[in-house]
Amino acid sequence: MQQTGQKQEGTPLQARESLRISGSTTVLPVAQAAADAYMNSHGNVDIMITGGGSSVGIQAAGEGTADIGMSSRDLKAEEKTRYPGLLSTVIGNDGIAVIVHPQNTVGPLTLAQIKGIYQGNFTNWKELGGPDMTIVVVGRDSASGTREFFHEKVMKKEDFVAGQLEKNSNGAVKQTVGQTPGAIGYVGLGYLDGTVRAVPILVDGDPIEPSVRNVLDGKYPISRPLLLLTNGEPKGLAQDYIRFLLGPEGQKIMLDEGFVPLGQA
Amino acid sequence: MNADTILAADRLSLWYGDTRALEEITMEVPDRRVTALIGPSGCGKSTLIRCFNRMNDILPGCRIEGRVTFHGQNVYDNGSDPVTLRRRIGMVFQKPNPFPKSIYENVAYGPRVHGVRDRKELDRIVERSLRRAALWDEVKDRLSHSAMSLSGGQQQRLCIARTLAVEPEVILMDEPCSALDPIATAKVEALIGELKEQYCVVIVTHNMQQAGRVSDYTGFMYLGRLIEFGETTQIFESPANELTENYITGRFG
Amino acid sequence: MATERDGKVHRQRTGELVIRGILLLCAASAVIAIFFILAFLLRDAYPIFQTVGIADFFLGPVWNPTSYPVEKFGIVPLVAGTLCVTAGAMAIAVPLGIACAICIAHLAPPAVRDIVKPAIELLAGIPSVVYGFFGLIVLSDWIRVTFGIPSGESWLAGSIILGIMALPTIISVSEDALTCVPREFAEGSLALGATRWQTISGVIVPGALPGISAAVILGMGRAIGETMAVLMVTGNAAIVPSPLWNVLSPVRTLTGTLGIEMGEVATGSMHYHALFGVAVVLLVITLIVNAVATLIIGQIREKYGRSKGSCAGVTGQERKPLFPPEIRERIGTVILVGALSCIGLPLAGVAGYFACAILLSLLLLSWNRVSPRSAEKVAFFFLFAATAAVLLVLAIILGDIVINGLPALSLGFLTEPPRDLGRSGGIFPAIVGTLYLVAGAIAFALPLGIGAAIYLSEYTTEGRVTKIVRAGTDLLNGTPSIVFGLFGFAFLVLFLNFGISLIAGQITLGLMILPTVIRTTEEALKSVPVSLREGSLALGATPWQTVSRIVVPPAVPGIITGAILSIGRAAGETAPILFTAAVFSQRFLPSSPFSPVMALPYHLYILATNVPGAEANKYGTALVLLMLVILFYALAIGIRTHYRRNSHW
Repeated sequence: MQQTGQKQEGTPLQARESLRISGSTTVLPVAQAAADAYMNSHGNVDIMITGGGSSVGIQAAGEGTADIGMSSRDLKAEEKTRYPGLLSTVIGNDGIAVIVHPQNTVGPLTLAQIKGIYQGNFTNWKELGGPDMTIVVVGRDSASGTREFFHEKVMKKEDFVAGQLEKNSNGAVKQTVGQTPGAIGYVGLGYLDGTVRAVPILVDGDPIEPSVRNVLDGKYPISRPLLLLTNGEPKGLAQDYIRFLLGPEGQKIMLDEGFVPLGQA
Repeated sequence: MNADTILAADRLSLWYGDTRALEEITMEVPDRRVTALIGPSGCGKSTLIRCFNRMNDILPGCRIEGRVTFHGQNVYDNGSDPVTLRRRIGMVFQKPNPFPKSIYENVAYGPRVHGVRDRKELDRIVERSLRRAALWDEVKDRLSHSAMSLSGGQQQRLCIARTLAVEPEVILMDEPCSALDPIATAKVEALIGELKEQYCVVIVTHNMQQAGRVSDYTGFMYLGRLIEFGETTQIFESPANELTENYITGRFG
Repeated sequence: MATERDGKVHRQRTGELVIRGILLLCAASAVIAIFFILAFLLRDAYPIFQTVGIADFFLGPVWNPTSYPVEKFGIVPLVAGTLCVTAGAMAIAVPLGIACAICIAHLAPPAVRDIVKPAIELLAGIPSVVYGFFGLIVLSDWIRVTFGIPSGESWLAGSIILGIMALPTIISVSEDALTCVPREFAEGSLALGATRWQTISGVIVPGALPGISAAVILGMGRAIGETMAVLMVTGNAAIVPSPLWNVLSPVRTLTGTLGIEMGEVATGSMHYHALFGVAVVLLVITLIVNAVATLIIGQIREKYGRSKGSCAGVTGQERKPLFPPEIRERIGTVILVGALSCIGLPLAGVAGYFACAILLSLLLLSWNRVSPRSAEKVAFFFLFAATAAVLLVLAIILGDIVINGLPALSLGFLTEPPRDLGRSGGIFPAIVGTLYLVAGAIAFALPLGIGAAIYLSEYTTEGRVTKIVRAGTDLLNGTPSIVFGLFGFAFLVLFLNFGISLIAGQITLGLMILPTVIRTTEEALKSVPVSLREGSLALGATPWQTVSRIVVPPAVPGIITGAILSIGRAAGETAPILFTAAVFSQRFLPSSPFSPVMALPYHLYILATNVPGAEANKYGTALVLLMLVILFYALAIGIRTHYRRNSHW
């Protein structure tokens, strides 16, 4: 953190302080919204946020090029060895919704069926009780934290079909699915809107909608924690910011952005 | 020779790559006279005078054997500087090549480049050079106009004025009138007659009558060799070499 | 007196040596930069070659970094993707571009030319991100509907977008080359009774061939190295199209792989090293392409070009051509027919190829029966149609941005910082950031590039030194923008510890535009007649005096063209600043060269791909970026016109 003035408890800051945050594009909307709220109530603070992906966030926090790193996945073994001082703070959860084109009337699907689609075992929606349309498989790029999570949870680490269209962000996946009638994709909860239709997941015969409620209750099967990383214990402005996010105002922002806040019912 | 020799070639040969363009040229050029070089196309006349001021240096693949001496010093010596040489041996080209600048700036370019900064001094030099080139009266009211607005003949005289402005000792002229109309040609020829009072002039021309008109000495070249060299009257009236005679009488051109 | 003159000569000589040394350094800068980039890339790529092995990496048919238990890093589908998309893009851009250039240079009346030429340079200013959007939202959807396939993200979409992006470069540089062909050539031909079209095709175009070839290579470099647009429209499926000519298949390019995966890869992992391996492969491909192209251009230059300072009256020995002229002409026709028939492949497979070939052969045979006058009418029609097509594309893209972006523009939008993730508020810091970045990049690249070009053009003859420098420049030109970003990150941000900063971004962008500046400046200097140089040297001016006072001033318009093309690129590029300078949001303006900046293209990219519900502002940002670029262009064009008027050609 770059401090250009002395800070004392209770005294207003003398000069402008800045905070650099970078990393996961999934966490970015939340971090930005929180930063805006924080800056509105603490004048003379400049919080600068960049995307780049979970890996970039982890590296930036570890190398010191950012004060806080954002990640939508856990640290890998190599990263833990490389940056032993990294500390992660969970700020909330993110559900991953499986989406299709609004005109696609297919019913709820089991995880096994979704896995089959992404492996290329089904080529037409009518094989799954949907309309007669060729299935267009849309996913994320191979370095994406979101895809990695999907790969582990849903694909059980098996390969995706080779012809899968790969997009570089949640927004891009949503875009493609929204304008391609036969497409299927996966995005974070916060990206759901009227341009795509979320498919409920069949768990033990019950269709579970991807919603904040269902993730909080633990019913929705595909969800992951969102992390903020710092090199060692967060101090000063970084600590203040993280506290803000964990507090009631910050958690409300999480909810507003479509993510799942921590804990309580 | 009656006059002093100022420029000389001593067994000068030149190659462009593998092709030999000049073969063992030996000649002496006298000061304050006009020396003409004549001969059919491709015989090496232009190549020869470009050796005098080392303009061949900028062509790739050019190789020299022999010497060119100026005031007795070999100009191709290691220590010799072509830049200073070219100030003392000036050149006027076949196609007038004024710079895309004003008339004044064209003439002032040379002195400026050699360090003259004083505006009054430059004015003086420009006027003097333009007068000597017999161009002053025609352009004195439009010195700031572009040089490209002049006619061909005027442009060539401008180039001559430009050369005079750096006060050389020798003026090399490579077919200076071939791109000009007869009236302009007559003016330039008259100019040459005046210039020889102060400068050594070497002129390359394919026009024999012109050589006869303006020069004191003439050299006849053929296929890269200097066939004959002597006083103009002698060359034209009683050439010693049969080849020279055939050329003069028009048996081949 | 003698000593005074000696002193002056000595001082002049030292001065000349110093200047020559500085210029040599400038020329070497491209080579030095490439060397550094290669070194840093190899350093980080080495582990993958060690672990996976070069053969498996280069010839492996599957690219699947998340494959369990063993990751697969074979680059064959990626290389295939790059080659396919680039070939398609060139097939579109080269004929269209040259046709357009001919039309602008020789057919259009001056008034039309004065509008069309800047309009096309405008195409160069449209940021690659905007092209990517347009491709994603409009083009791929149109392809999907027109061809009745599940998804329009494909090789075809990629080639069309890349072709459009390469057009301005090819047109601009070709047009400069065509206007520089001396009038005497055309007059000689017309005096023989040839029609204008025969003159153009038989005399003028061959005369401009070296410049046109340079334009095509610059365009190809642009196509190979493009990252953002391709990754948005090609679908990014790492497969080889089957059958090979299936232009509707999704593909993935090498650059797309870097762009889409680099941001989220874990540093130090095998995947990370594999990506650097991909970057090395990209550079190697560029090197090969450049070597081949230089060979071709060298041969064309010998045949058609004029060498500097022609020998007075004596020509050098002519090299014997490999085949006699009759066979050479036939070969050319056969190759042309063979290449054009490829259009039939995606339409009807192999049968379609032969059908096309037969059709074209018949056409060519009957062409000779047509009278020159009619042939001219047909040719001119196609030329004008090509130009109209290019202008139509420009109009569509611009129209889309303007119509959708105008509603978002307001004073607040331009002067406020962003709020609510960019969905509301303004983009003021991004505007300022872009201005800083471009200004810095130009300040870095222009002096270096002009110095290098002057050295190459005026101080050396074609020899080993120039060949090496030119190879370095061409390689730099072909280096993809994302590789610059990688290098900037590894070297400037990490190694030199500048951090993510304005200056890291400026230097990275400057390196990226350096080759364009060098190339176009060199062409401009070469177009100054040798007779002027000789006139100056004959007066005893030193080489530097000749260059600075006589050669450079008339070349300024051409130099400015190069600067224009470079500004357009620098302002709109996202990849180089992705990892080196950009930050998504900043409430205050950058306080030093070492703070990060917001930038319009990056802002646009994030808004569109990561922030749902930002439609209006997305288009508004695109519109502002465009307007900024137009402002730069208008300034530069004004300067160029002013110089053209005052230079008395």
